[in-house]
Amino acid sequence: MDAADREQLLARLRGVVGERYAFADPYEMRLYQYDASPETALPDIVVIPGTAADVARVVKICADAQVPITARSAASSLAGGTVPVEHGVVITFARMDRILEIDPDNQRAVVEPGVVNLALSQALKPLGYYYVPDPSSQGACTIGGNVGTNAGGPHTLLYGVTVNHVTGLELALPSGALVQVGGRKAAAASGYDLTGLFVGSEGTMGIATKIWVKIQPLPPVQKTLMAVYPDVETASNAVSAIVRSGILPAAIEMMDKLSIQAIEAASHAGYPLDAGAVLLLEVDGIPELVDELGERMAKACRESGATEVRVAKDEAERQALWKGRKGAFSAMGRLSPDFYVMDGVVPRTRLPETLAKIDAISARTGFKICNVFHAGDGNLHPLVLFDAFKPGQYEAVLRIGDEILKLCADAGGSVTGEHGIGLEKRENIRYVFSDDDLEVMDRIRRVFDPHGLMNPGKVFPGEVLEGSAPSRAPDHASRRAAAGIGGDDVWV
Amino acid sequence: MGLNARVATLPGHEITVEEQQEFRVDDLLPSRVMRPADAQDAARGLRLCDLVPAAVVTWGGGTQMRLGATPRRYEVAFSTERMTRLLEYEPADLTCRVEAGMRLQDLQESLLAQGQRLPLEPPHPERATVGGMLAANANGLGRARYGTVRDWVIGIAVAYPSGKLARAGGKVVKNVAGYDLMKLHIGALGTLGVIAEVNFKVQTRPQVEATLLAHFEMLAPAIDCGIALARQYLAPAAALVLDQGALRDCGLAADWRWTLALKLEGYAREVEAARNKATGIIRDAGGRVEEGDVPSTFWETARDWSAPDDDHVVVRAIVPLTSIHAILNALPPDSRMMALPGAGLVDARVAPGSAASTLQRLRTAGGDQGQVIVAAAPAVVKKGLDVWGPPPPGFPIMRALKQALDPNGILNPGRFVGGI
Repeated sequence: MDAADREQLLARLRGVVGERYAFADPYEMRLYQYDASPETALPDIVVIPGTAADVARVVKICADAQVPITARSAASSLAGGTVPVEHGVVITFARMDRILEIDPDNQRAVVEPGVVNLALSQALKPLGYYYVPDPSSQGACTIGGNVGTNAGGPHTLLYGVTVNHVTGLELALPSGALVQVGGRKAAAASGYDLTGLFVGSEGTMGIATKIWVKIQPLPPVQKTLMAVYPDVETASNAVSAIVRSGILPAAIEMMDKLSIQAIEAASHAGYPLDAGAVLLLEVDGIPELVDELGERMAKACRESGATEVRVAKDEAERQALWKGRKGAFSAMGRLSPDFYVMDGVVPRTRLPETLAKIDAISARTGFKICNVFHAGDGNLHPLVLFDAFKPGQYEAVLRIGDEILKLCADAGGSVTGEHGIGLEKRENIRYVFSDDDLEVMDRIRRVFDPHGLMNPGKVFPGEVLEGSAPSRAPDHASRRAAAGIGGDDVWV
Repeated sequence: MGLNARVATLPGHEITVEEQQEFRVDDLLPSRVMRPADAQDAARGLRLCDLVPAAVVTWGGGTQMRLGATPRRYEVAFSTERMTRLLEYEPADLTCRVEAGMRLQDLQESLLAQGQRLPLEPPHPERATVGGMLAANANGLGRARYGTVRDWVIGIAVAYPSGKLARAGGKVVKNVAGYDLMKLHIGALGTLGVIAEVNFKVQTRPQVEATLLAHFEMLAPAIDCGIALARQYLAPAAALVLDQGALRDCGLAADWRWTLALKLEGYAREVEAARNKATGIIRDAGGRVEEGDVPSTFWETARDWSAPDDDHVVVRAIVPLTSIHAILNALPPDSRMMALPGAGLVDARVAPGSAASTLQRLRTAGGDQGQVIVAAAPAVVKKGLDVWGPPPPGFPIMRALKQALDPNGILNPGRFVGGI
């Protein structure tokens, strides 16, 4: 975009949101060039609208000017979902962070997209309710962003991911329309389920300006267990054995030896340093049952090779165990200046062989790979440790990532369980979908966004889209250094 | 060449008089039947229909054929009756992949052998197919606790009029790669493609099941009890309120004005705790818990009640929970009804003559956050009814989606919302 076009567009956008909330100063915009993925790209203009109507007006102005639009909230995306790779306008939701309504009678809450995930559950707690999906970044990530990626979290094993908890959306579309789909009642009773279609579309169809979510009664008691295994293989075989035993815990998380060391150094969660792998399991239930379930689960753990099973004695111990897990990625800074997070999924019965193959890749390439992940649903998060300032390392790590995603796909799994395709995996999506599959999806995208302006360069491989996005920038390390991005503040 | 001659060039075979009746949709009869052998075959067959172009109605078990408006055209009955295989099932993964023509009961039997189940109970599972359950979004009585079809489908393969067979989702329980087209096809009544294969996640069967019946002199407290129970952590697997007529239909000749029927499921201690809790809530609301036996067919009859094989007119309201009372108050006195208070759903069998006015009243009572549709009606009654009601706000997008995936409008033309 040339300077004159930018000035003209900026003036029009300021006419909607006011002088203060639209800016194009390169220094101010630096904050908006990255998310939690390694890629960066500067927007031309950043807009911070205050209302849904303003979002619709901003989208319309941009669409009329054929300028790309990227929605961004907390920018905790690990897949580059909010990096404005084709520049244009970034719309951010810092001012749209209101919980509009809590409606226990209908078991719903209505929120703006910028509401922080955890803030909603905290607001619901006094009423005995919570919002179930709990990404590890829940202290920062927003419900709007969660809708974009169809976010998961440890406790989605039993209760489902974002799409299972969203019943309605208000959408700002490139046409300029502000449309409500679904709403307070149970999802879609007549007409196509546009709510379900939109969730997880990563900002490529439009922008959610209002979200109706289900709220659920808090479980009376939660029991958290830590099971210690001699190695990753025994632990991953145990996952299938536990699930097959008939108990589906609310969460089953796994951490390998390297992760345990990093976590213990950072947060003293109480994981044994000599363990080969640790499973963190949680069941919820009524007081008269939860002990029995805990015992049955402990028994299943021991029978599947656990050398030690420890039950959290109280809430403090439980919180410590979870704090370690949820802070795992931040703790990796203790081990390595940089790390690259993958998000593959395999059927849980294929966990042992997949982890063995990942281990072999690590041995072959010399890069250390940690595994901290949602074992219960087979959602792997291998972390490849590297140093971006060493020449060639970043490129090598990308190749490793690609290889890992390929083996997940070949095992009958997927290339992303909860982070989204974003920018990062737009070529890897071919491992799970054929040209025909992608062509149908692209046709649907065009219904919403005929000119390819909504978060362009994401989800679809370059060739599927007209005017494909630039490939990964070669000077990653220097740009990353210039942007001052460290290895902290990343969750999964 | 006229349309009939062109239709006659399609594979499959010309339909016999008996078959014509078997594949009747309202008062329309097809001239040809196609029975694809598998998903690829379905895509090829659909492409040929599109070239004619011949209007296609996809057939599974035919249990939801009374749902929707009468199609504008109907040439080819596209039956999934040969696509009945269980393609993959790994019990330890709690997932399976099946062909769309598989009968739900057959699937449940395969799962039962491993102590598992799909917690969806649409009407007539002995005939209903997996594909039909998705297309009609046919949910059972357990939806307040277990969710609906959209919560259990993890992958899908769909044949499109373009001849493409395209997949979405996958075989794993957690997956955000690509667009969630499962959601798009669930409840689309076959207007966007022919569902050919479906991947499900499944669950372990509950340890214990129990039924609790209570009767009430007044409707409102029975409904409030149902809502209050659905809000509990240990929500019932089903909480159903029936009037006397519906209760009789379900084989209970008791003289109860309003009945709250609860199905409790879970671990033994949970069921016991849920029973105690429910008993307390019911008594506080002035209801009376009945200890007598429940006919073994009670839940099955209740499940099938909303999809009658005969000429009953069934009106369905889906509303926010707080609007349920308004819906019930708007029902005509000669109707029979079943409500799932915790799911915000009311099904009523109404007299054909009062169907139109009932729809009108319910739509007003349901407000703009509710939807009221005709779930089943004979052709002659349907003609005078607006079966879907006014199109929802996102309708222009829906129409554009239809145009994008079925540009010649061959799939169930006119049967869906807003004439789609």
